[in-house]
Amino acid sequence: MLPGLDNLRHIVVLMMENRSFDHMLGSLPGIGGIDDAGAFSNPDTNDNPVQPQALAEFQGQLNPDPDHHFPAVDLQIFGNATNRGRQANMQGFVKSYFNQRQDVAHSQKIMYYFQRKDLPVLTTLALQFAVFNRWFASIPGPTICNRAFAHYGTSFGRVDMNPFDVIEPIKSIYTRMVTANPARTAKVYYYDTASSSMEVPNLLQNQPQVFGQYRDFLSACDNNSLPQYSFVEPNYTDHDSDSGEEVANDQHPDHDVQAGELLIAEVYSHIKNNPKTWATTALLVVYDEHGGIFDHVIPPPCVKDRFQSSQLDPSTGQGFFFDRLGVRVPAVLVSPWIPKEKVVDRVFDHASIPATVTKFFQLNYPDAGPREKAADVFIEPNDGSGNMANNLLSLDVMRTDCPDFTLPS
Amino acid sequence: MDPIPVPKPKSVRNPNRPASSLLLAQVHHLREAEKNLPTRYHSGIFHKSLITEGDVARYAQSVTEAIHKAHNDAAKDRAKAAAKRKAPRRRAQADRTTQRKRQPGEKKKARTKAGRKG
Repeated sequence: MLPGLDNLRHIVVLMMENRSFDHMLGSLPGIGGIDDAGAFSNPDTNDNPVQPQALAEFQGQLNPDPDHHFPAVDLQIFGNATNRGRQANMQGFVKSYFNQRQDVAHSQKIMYYFQRKDLPVLTTLALQFAVFNRWFASIPGPTICNRAFAHYGTSFGRVDMNPFDVIEPIKSIYTRMVTANPARTAKVYYYDTASSSMEVPNLLQNQPQVFGQYRDFLSACDNNSLPQYSFVEPNYTDHDSDSGEEVANDQHPDHDVQAGELLIAEVYSHIKNNPKTWATTALLVVYDEHGGIFDHVIPPPCVKDRFQSSQLDPSTGQGFFFDRLGVRVPAVLVSPWIPKEKVVDRVFDHASIPATVTKFFQLNYPDAGPREKAADVFIEPNDGSGNMANNLLSLDVMRTDCPDFTLPS
Repeated sequence: MDPIPVPKPKSVRNPNRPASSLLLAQVHHLREAEKNLPTRYHSGIFHKSLITEGDVARYAQSVTEAIHKAHNDAAKDRAKAAAKRKAPRRRAQADRTTQRKRQPGEKKKARTKAGRKG
């Protein structure tokens, strides 16, 4: 029996917006990032090779927002090939970005990545805990359908941003938790009502009781009263609020990446600063999709979902079967029971989130879709049913050397 | 390990930034949810006029609060209706109990009074 799993009471997921793995963590050596920038390139529209460069800026560089809808991501992954039997080559990022502003010099910025010193929070967590270097978006497409995989294990056939219907018998992870016997506790925390949620059509509309605000989440960390499962959404907009002026911290281009760093540090610090919360909580920081920004790893195939999209797969001319993943995204798992510098190179996607929560909290739920059933889990239950070799909370003794952040006043 | 300083973001708040495709999709979702609310909860904001992040935030706040209020009001109404459904039953039960206790005496009195007046 593993003490880390014995102690684990709370799983927290913080899902950020629209940045690729290479863009955020590619500077870290030896984890499958951009160890040798010269080894990678993308042709621009003049067929000149453009290499990744550590020149990413916090804000003002990726404007307009790089296209990350299904057709654009197809171009980014397959480099304009649409024939049957085509091979993914990750050669279309610069061309895709060129399509938006017709500016060759500007299109090259899609290859830029951050230096380690630029992102002290995310890179520290990646080095101090477990970093996943093969966590992919669930769909080669945009935000809403990718986030649906985190809540339902499927997007019900959607590869776009339109509202979708939940198709029975599939249930959200929150419904599974609160209707379990015995009932479990689960919350979605949106930043505030002005930022609201990206899970409006089904969750917020029909189950507002499973929602709380970010300030409630921080209080729950401070008071060791977190629900068993928490999903935290960042602030999506610059806006005024009762507490003052709010700056978007979701890191969606062209929002300030440093504001997102501050959010991640704040979530981590509130969990860590209560010793009881810290000892009993695992925090996953993950990005919903790559946002059109370069990554060099070819997304792998996966089992088909039970749904088929109305959008055509360019290689087959048929509806997309959800049989391959989206572009790689940053993902880090934090707990004092995880050893330093753990690199996880198994394949994950957002369906791994409901799969893990369902398995760990032992919910009796036979109706998961095929994608969720096939998804790997990042925390195994401690009842002998899980594969302990894959367990990331593997230490016998809780670490006392975990980092602290000093937040700006 | 020394605490790691987190830099203060240098960005200037800009609610006039044009709303991204993500935020416009969120507006679409909020509008769908708003349409399902009783009209008294509608924001009165024309969703197609929303251009900036500040516009989207104002609409999101209005609809999000309306969704919560509508659900809270509906819960209160359901509780009231349930109490009402129970109340007549309770009154009827109380009446029957009262009748059972008073019936013999009251009937006699009523007949007596009626007889005297007549």
